[in-house]
Amino acid sequence: MGDESIMYSLDQGTTKTYQIPIGHLDYKFIEKCTDVQHLEKILRVLRSGEEGCYPDLTLFCEKRIEHLAPGSRVLRKDKPAATAADFTAEEWETINGELMSWVAEMNEDDNKPEFLKTGTLHEGQDNLPPIRCSSSCLPAFQNEKFQNKQRNKKNIPRDYSEWDKFDVEKECSKIDESSEENNSKARFVSRPPPPLIEKQVNTTGMTKKEKIFIATREKEKGNEAFASGDYVEAVTYYARSISILPTAAAYNNKAQAEIKLQDWDSALQDCEKVLDMEPSNVKEIVLPVRGEAALGKAEMGNAQRKFHSKGGGSKLEDRGTQKQKESTESGLKKGTEEKKSQKTDHEGEANGYLNSNQTSESPEAGQSSRSHGAGSLSAGAAHSTSLPPAAAKLKSEGNELFKSGQFGEAVPKYSEAIEYVISVGERSPDDLSILYSNRAACYLKGGNCSDCVQDCNRALELQPFSLKPLLRRAMAYESMERYRQAYVDYKTVLQIDSSIQAANDSVNRITKTLIDQDGSSWREKLPPIPVVPIAAQLNRWDGGNFTSEVKPKSPTDINKEEQLQMNREKGEEKFRTLKNEGNDFVKKGKYDEAVNKYSECLKLNTKDCTIYTNRALCYLKLHKYEEAKQDCDHVLQIEDCNIKAFYRRALAYKGLQIYQASVDDLKKVLLIDPNVLEAKKELEEITQLLSLGGVAVADCQQKQRKKITIQEVTDEQEEGQLETAEDVVADNLSSKEAVQKCVPSRTCEKLTISEPSNAYDFGQIVNAVNASKDQSACADLLTITDPKKLPVLLSNKLEGEIFLIFIQSLAHYILGKDPGLVYQHLFYLSKAERFKVVLALLSKNEKEQVQRLFDLLTENQNHQYSLEELDSLKKVYEL
Amino acid sequence: MSAAGLERPQVVVHAQQSLNYTVFDCKWVPRSARLLCLGSAPRGTGVLQLYELRGGRLLLLSEVSGGRSDSAGRPREAERSPLPPAEAPGNGGLRGQPQHLVSAPGPACCSGRRRSRSAAALGVGARVSFPVNLEAPEIPVYSVKGHKEIINSIDGVGGLGIGEGAPEIVTGSRDGTVKVWDPRQKETPVANMEPAQGESKRDCWTVAFGNAYNQEERVVCAGYDNGDIKLFDLRTMSLRWETNIKNGVCSVEFDRKDVNMNKLVATSLEGKFHVFDMRTQHPTKGFASVSEKAHKSTIWQVRHLPQNRDVFMTSGGAGSLHLWKYEYPAQRSKKDSEGAEMGVAGSVSLLQNVTLSTQPISSLDWSPDKKGLCVCGAFDQTVRVLIVTKLNKV
Repeated sequence: MGDESIMYSLDQGTTKTYQIPIGHLDYKFIEKCTDVQHLEKILRVLRSGEEGCYPDLTLFCEKRIEHLAPGSRVLRKDKPAATAADFTAEEWETINGELMSWVAEMNEDDNKPEFLKTGTLHEGQDNLPPIRCSSSCLPAFQNEKFQNKQRNKKNIPRDYSEWDKFDVEKECSKIDESSEENNSKARFVSRPPPPLIEKQVNTTGMTKKEKIFIATREKEKGNEAFASGDYVEAVTYYARSISILPTAAAYNNKAQAEIKLQDWDSALQDCEKVLDMEPSNVKEIVLPVRGEAALGKAEMGNAQRKFHSKGGGSKLEDRGTQKQKESTESGLKKGTEEKKSQKTDHEGEANGYLNSNQTSESPEAGQSSRSHGAGSLSAGAAHSTSLPPAAAKLKSEGNELFKSGQFGEAVPKYSEAIEYVISVGERSPDDLSILYSNRAACYLKGGNCSDCVQDCNRALELQPFSLKPLLRRAMAYESMERYRQAYVDYKTVLQIDSSIQAANDSVNRITKTLIDQDGSSWREKLPPIPVVPIAAQLNRWDGGNFTSEVKPKSPTDINKEEQLQMNREKGEEKFRTLKNEGNDFVKKGKYDEAVNKYSECLKLNTKDCTIYTNRALCYLKLHKYEEAKQDCDHVLQIEDCNIKAFYRRALAYKGLQIYQASVDDLKKVLLIDPNVLEAKKELEEITQLLSLGGVAVADCQQKQRKKITIQEVTDEQEEGQLETAEDVVADNLSSKEAVQKCVPSRTCEKLTISEPSNAYDFGQIVNAVNASKDQSACADLLTITDPKKLPVLLSNKLEGEIFLIFIQSLAHYILGKDPGLVYQHLFYLSKAERFKVVLALLSKNEKEQVQRLFDLLTENQNHQYSLEELDSLKKVYEL
Repeated sequence: MSAAGLERPQVVVHAQQSLNYTVFDCKWVPRSARLLCLGSAPRGTGVLQLYELRGGRLLLLSEVSGGRSDSAGRPREAERSPLPPAEAPGNGGLRGQPQHLVSAPGPACCSGRRRSRSAAALGVGARVSFPVNLEAPEIPVYSVKGHKEIINSIDGVGGLGIGEGAPEIVTGSRDGTVKVWDPRQKETPVANMEPAQGESKRDCWTVAFGNAYNQEERVVCAGYDNGDIKLFDLRTMSLRWETNIKNGVCSVEFDRKDVNMNKLVATSLEGKFHVFDMRTQHPTKGFASVSEKAHKSTIWQVRHLPQNRDVFMTSGGAGSLHLWKYEYPAQRSKKDSEGAEMGVAGSVSLLQNVTLSTQPISSLDWSPDKKGLCVCGAFDQTVRVLIVTKLNKV
């Protein structure tokens, strides 16, 4: 322990560049460390080799970082280009073969006569727009600046004759004008007109190859626009591609984009075209798209007569039967889920570009639809008994249709069932809720999100916190891009059943989106997430038998909350700013101001634990332990296992010297999380203090003050964040500081001062003693040190502080025992290097201390020195 | 290399050719397996070479060594460019033969910074030479002294190649001006963007066309040595937007010239690049952007994959190439507190990086015809033909 502490005090305990404790360069530490930034620093140190070369450890660290943050920048290494060795023989063959055949093709083309080298620059000039700014074609609306430019252009290279004609004032006014205009221009944001992209491409005089090339390029543009979510533009570019050279792929992609735009008619038409063009091989690819389009169309029809008793206009039925026929034709008797996934596969082959887009969507869609199917099935089975037989029949029909993927057909069945149940007047909320929920599922499948949300709302009104409607509403919200509501719904779902993978995935996805959208404070913009009563959670396992305990939380409630939310936002805004200001003050070390800010915060919101813990931190810094303790108590009343509150209360108790309570709190901290290193250290220390009694009371205040890390102010958002992590996160500086803080107490307890053999040892001990202001230790040191050696041992290291502590320890400890030794020390001290300098720099107060020592020496005069000697020494000390 | 590593695109050196001159720029000739290399010999003469890719090797088809050796001390006085024209991208596209090439003298390639003395001597041109006939490359089809100082950068659009509208060429010069030329009007530029009187003239390092999705719309983006990026709208003839990225702008490029402007990448001297989402312009905040510190040295070039605008490659001063992919955010625009539309930037992810040389890679060009084929020229006097694999899976 002693060695270690000395090592730390010598600053060898940390790495040179980042001041990371050497102990962190260790397999165990790296394995546990979750702070990527810290790990990156460690890796940089390891790579630099300044602490030695450890290839295995470096590799291990890299792997750990890769595991935590695969995109980390430190993992980027300079790599040579790939060679044949990096590929399998086949891959290499393919890569080279492809290129070779392309080269051959190109060279062949060159030799064909159709590429005559006669084209001139002005060919095709007829189609070209006129030369910019040639006066004949200058559109009237082109502004003056443009003309100015022309003028400038002419005027600037002036010859001497032109300068003669130069009218200074006129020219100046022109410049003023134009500069004014410039200013206004800069501020004026010229809104681009809506993109007018021609849907046709003029292909006159193009060879077939050129057409293919341009058509491909236009299709690629369409694909890119599709990928970036701009479906209108995508459709335009696909249309352009088709106008040059109609291809099945372009039609198919266009249909896809049109589906996204819910332009079902055009989508259907395009699908038909594809079928016409390539009836045999592409059928499986197109059918699902077509089915989807047809479905969408049917859905539209349905949406309009949602509540009509008997749906089924002839057209609708036609569509349905047609669709069925098709699916039997192609032998796809599976559900739409399968179709969808198949579509994905084929799509991938047909059009690699859209592939990534599709795959990312489809698994989730497939999964969710499957769960819907299953859900409605089970719902049907479980509850059909309580429904009136007619409604039950309708419902099971609807379920059948749903299972076979005919969502549009299922909707009227469910609607009918709902109406029947309502008209019969039987109040069975469970069944009605399920019916609504099932219809919502149909709407969701058909892309009719707003109706889906409505039905879900109704279902939830009847049965609050039932899983499926919530999940469906979340999905609907998500596809309507109302991410906040979706997030809240998913979260609620997870409260009910945390094992729903789809919800988990969606929450992650939405979180990312919201962060993109709102920045780091996205959480604050969320509507409140309703707390699910335990009963509802249990209910789920009971199989849906709701008891009266469940406090209904209707959607209207939610709406009200949203309204309230608006009012509340203002307050929250203020709350947030105050809190941030407080945090800033903490960072700057202005704890008084921070306390004020936090107190204001608490006036606005008395329930935010973080404010209390933050304020407690400030109180600790200000040594107001009583207040700190009160804040922590308060937090613990609200939240009985807030680890920070326990930790800070422990520190407060320590400050109040109530060690037993402090130890108790620290033990609680370690019970909650045994990995909190700080708490462990603190516990050790206080246990020591307890055993030592009040010996080190004076020291402990200092120590504890410096030990607190203020890291959490920056990320107090993460309430789950524990001090362990912070401990690691904490700047190298503060961790180093913390380590150093431990030194003094240990030195004074453990440092059995042995006689220093050389100046270096002496310097070490003096530094340690000086750091802790431990006069008794210093006295020990001086007692065992031969006064004659003092100038040698001190060499040129004598400083004011050292001088002072010598004087103090001589006066307080040694004088009573051995005045002669005091005289000897004073005598030889005056012979030390730098003595005069130190003496000259002593303050008045310090001089008085020296004076007092001499007075005491005079009083205790004995045979070891005479008064004359003392007087002459006094002169040396300039007294 | 692990199997997982192979899922990502790989960069393979297919062919490489040592040159006896310093190469500044290299370009593919559209609809062919040929490429042009342009550079300067140690004596200070310009060199233009036409190579053909054949059987994994580069075959020299023709070479022009132009201009006269200039005394390094008086480079700007040269009347005639010693450098035969370099091809600029975009034009001459589909005619199978590269007889319509937009060209400019001098370092169309040498993007300004750290230009060596000999390079400066080479850049004397300050001339714009117009489409050359590769059958007789010695004779520029058209040439005009367009700038007072060397031309740093050139770009072309329209005509028979990429983008709608008139065939135009834009040049950016050290004299601080950006000029747009139409080959049909020989003597004067059709537009001239220069600093207002009294403003200091900055060295324009890079220019790029964009937004040419119909006959009227067109913008020019210019990057300057002080980090300014300016966007000029050629339809309204106004400065549409400007920003500063703190360090010299080495290269700017729109992801596609011929669509409603979508993204712009600007690379800078200190190794960062910025991707601007150009779809939504906020009245005060301009365009949303994301930046990434990529190379440890200057990023000399950025080039978007012609077949997929969301993939682009940057070339660094330490001989490295980085391949990136831009991911769009869930919503590309949002309303700010005042209801104005505001763009949302996405993110960029690194697909692959390789180090080919110890010298800067000064030029980079994707083949417009073969996806994944690209050529790069480095200051170690080598051109390399690269294949980037698996680009259709990103």
